[in-house]
Amino acid sequence: MRYLIRRLIWFAVALLGLSLLVFAALRILPGDVASVMAGTNATPARIAAIRSRMGLDRSYPQQYADWLGGLLHGNMGVSAISGRTVASQIGAHAAVTLPLIVLSLLVALGVGIPMGCQAVLAGSPRVRSVLHTIAIVGGAVPALWGGLLLIMLFGRGVGLIGILPSQGFPDAGWHAPRAALISLILPTITTGLVAGAGIMRYTRACLISMEDSDAVAMAMACGMTRRQAMLRVGLRLSAAQLVSVAGLTFAQMITGVMVVESLFNLPGLGAMLINDVGNRDLIAVQSELFLLAAFFLLLGLLVDLMHHALDPRLGEQTQHAGGEGSTHDLGIR
Amino acid sequence: MVQSNGAHGESDATEPDTTIQEGAASGASTDASLNARVKQPDSGHHKPVIWMIAALVVVALIACIAIVNSRSRKTATPTQSDSIAIGIKLAPVSLDIRNQSGSALEQLLIGNVYEALVSRNSNNEVEPGLAKSWTISDDGLTYTFKLNEHMNFSNGDTLDATDVAWSINQLKAKQYYNSDQVENLKQASAPDATTVKLTLSQPDANMLWYLSGRPGLVFDKDAHYDAKTTAVGSGPYLVKSFDSSSKLVLQANPNYWGSAHKARTNTVTVRFLPDDNAALNALTSGDVQVLSPVNANMTGKLKSSGKYTVKATEGSDKFVLAFNCTGAKTSDKRVRQAIRYAINHKEIIASRGGVDAALGGPIPSVDPGYEDLTGLYPYNPAKAKSLMRQAGYSTNHPLKLTLTYANVYGSELGEQLRSQLSRIGIDLNVNTVEFSTWLQDVHTNGDYDLSLVDHAESHDFYKWTQPDYYYHYDNPQVQALYAKALAATDDEDSASYLKQAARIVSEDAPADWLFAYRVSVAQVKGVTGFPSRLSQSVLPLWKVAYTPAKA
Repeated sequence: MRYLIRRLIWFAVALLGLSLLVFAALRILPGDVASVMAGTNATPARIAAIRSRMGLDRSYPQQYADWLGGLLHGNMGVSAISGRTVASQIGAHAAVTLPLIVLSLLVALGVGIPMGCQAVLAGSPRVRSVLHTIAIVGGAVPALWGGLLLIMLFGRGVGLIGILPSQGFPDAGWHAPRAALISLILPTITTGLVAGAGIMRYTRACLISMEDSDAVAMAMACGMTRRQAMLRVGLRLSAAQLVSVAGLTFAQMITGVMVVESLFNLPGLGAMLINDVGNRDLIAVQSELFLLAAFFLLLGLLVDLMHHALDPRLGEQTQHAGGEGSTHDLGIR
Repeated sequence: MVQSNGAHGESDATEPDTTIQEGAASGASTDASLNARVKQPDSGHHKPVIWMIAALVVVALIACIAIVNSRSRKTATPTQSDSIAIGIKLAPVSLDIRNQSGSALEQLLIGNVYEALVSRNSNNEVEPGLAKSWTISDDGLTYTFKLNEHMNFSNGDTLDATDVAWSINQLKAKQYYNSDQVENLKQASAPDATTVKLTLSQPDANMLWYLSGRPGLVFDKDAHYDAKTTAVGSGPYLVKSFDSSSKLVLQANPNYWGSAHKARTNTVTVRFLPDDNAALNALTSGDVQVLSPVNANMTGKLKSSGKYTVKATEGSDKFVLAFNCTGAKTSDKRVRQAIRYAINHKEIIASRGGVDAALGGPIPSVDPGYEDLTGLYPYNPAKAKSLMRQAGYSTNHPLKLTLTYANVYGSELGEQLRSQLSRIGIDLNVNTVEFSTWLQDVHTNGDYDLSLVDHAESHDFYKWTQPDYYYHYDNPQVQALYAKALAATDDEDSASYLKQAARIVSEDAPADWLFAYRVSVAQVKGVTGFPSRLSQSVLPLWKVAYTPAKA
């Protein structure tokens, strides 16, 4: 309980720091939304008029206070350019990105964990080394290149077996669920396989570290075969670490899929951010970035709590050592 | 790291394992519980294989669905399609045409969703629009427009002279976008329901042309709507949906007042495809039927496939390499002239696919006052070098300059200029930035040596007459000639003044005009009505139709 409360307090402090960081970082960017609206024909006087109409000539602390006040009331503001609320803008684009991430993660786990297990447990050393190579090569393939390859193979009209759409999202969005899902197949495979290779490597590493553990030896002493012991005991003991990896993969994907989204021309969060930064629509960008970063933090929090639930030993450790840093530091990032 | 290999690992840990395996092979174990366990490793061994097979089956199923899907689509629609998709490069960021800059807004909305007092055709000439006729007083100060009758907006409201006068007076009062183009317009009034009278403070030869663009647009004075996300206009199309990161969907306006511009295609989807490769994929995979522009270097395959027509079309886009006329290093006319002599335009045009046209001055071929000025500064590196020597620079003692331009134009142009200018002793530092950064540093603050931008607008010579514009070009002679051109009530007189002014600007070398960008348009066979000129600024969608070839 004390752990939970301390964790939540740090979460709130981190959010506050985050808001300051996001606000300040964006003010360093040259250019502003007024000059973007005014365009290349505008006179300086016209730009100044737009600036004052939009309240951009107020002091930074005042702008920050306004924004933070809005956030506390759950109001993320209105985009200066598109006129839509930031919340609806994020919602519309997350409706593409989140399903893509979840599906990709399912593919990644579905491919990564069985193949990672196989890379340790396969009978033939040749199969094991081939699987190991696949994991390393797969993880090294840039998603952009993999996606291009998939388009050249399966993209409708351009690919060798052109059966799948490779550009855009259906006009009707999720009201046409089948078309929407089909348009996500290639992007999902692209991100899923690359992330899957990563998960495969972690699964393999976890299982290998379990191989010599007392728990597995004990299970085998009780009559399990090595394979059973590894899958039933070893994998289960690795679950906490794998959950961390999956959580972080999920978080990384939020930014990682942006490249894939732009390759497949999907109107996701990446396209939204690039557009809004390009237009210097700072009110929108700061709320969007804040929300994304808060989502990151929230995921970290959830992963930590889940980690805790899965591995009761951690409770003691953190109370004695007074820090939880070591438990989720798996050498990622 | 030590890799334990299961059965061949430490002897004490694996001993039971090997016994079981031997037992499995012979089936000779006497322990029933051990025998019972024997089969499990086998089944466990197959699990991942089963999963893989399952995954393959799923993929195969999806593939089947996709095939069936695409087949069923192919057999349908032998006649004219009720929808068409067009791919363009730059997206408008909002639909607020009164406040938001961007040529894509004009291209997509004017004549399609909103209509102006007069309209413009694909030859850049003014034609009747909401007004069916007009007269101009002899002194050029009073314009009287006769409007069409029984006009209405898409929401059903009537459109009459009061809406027109209100729209134009609002433009002036609220200083909407491009209101400075019609500075000489004093006031609009509506003597009766079908007559609009405009009073000017001084004659303006460009007035009618400007009224065919944003300043002449007519809005519904009684309608309340969010102009950034929706539109209430009088044009042949309605905005069905708009998302600046993907597409604009237009639907034929069932209440359209006119018959001449009635929409031929019910739904027009305009997709925004900033990436050239993605755009080409969208065309070849059938997601769009027209691509404008298509990268001229990528059209080879399209042409040879026989399924597409590709055409380079004339427009008003000028790639202007501006030299800061008040900059520390570029205020020296010899330096500016040397740069113009040193640029090999043919080479640049050829590397872009060879479709763009050379342009030697500030007025494009589609505008009045155009004259071929490419002879003024022909490619002449020897002359460029001697001018640089006079200015005190050589290849051993190079002049350091920075070229600032927006990354949307790609990095090739900057690199080409750098290598061409290095031959005459200019060390060019190429700085590609985001468009907003360019706007701030170059356009607003005027802080630059060299800048490159595509000035897409037509009739924009006036920028050379405003010393505070980022060119910082100040020549009273040019300003006087331009004033005369505006005041002339005869079109030919006006054009001849413009011609003289443009020649002086080009001689003064405040910029180099790298080329007139000719937009390559690719369309699937069966598309008709897509304009072959000026499609970047005037895009009458009502004409466009698509009849797919029979499968």
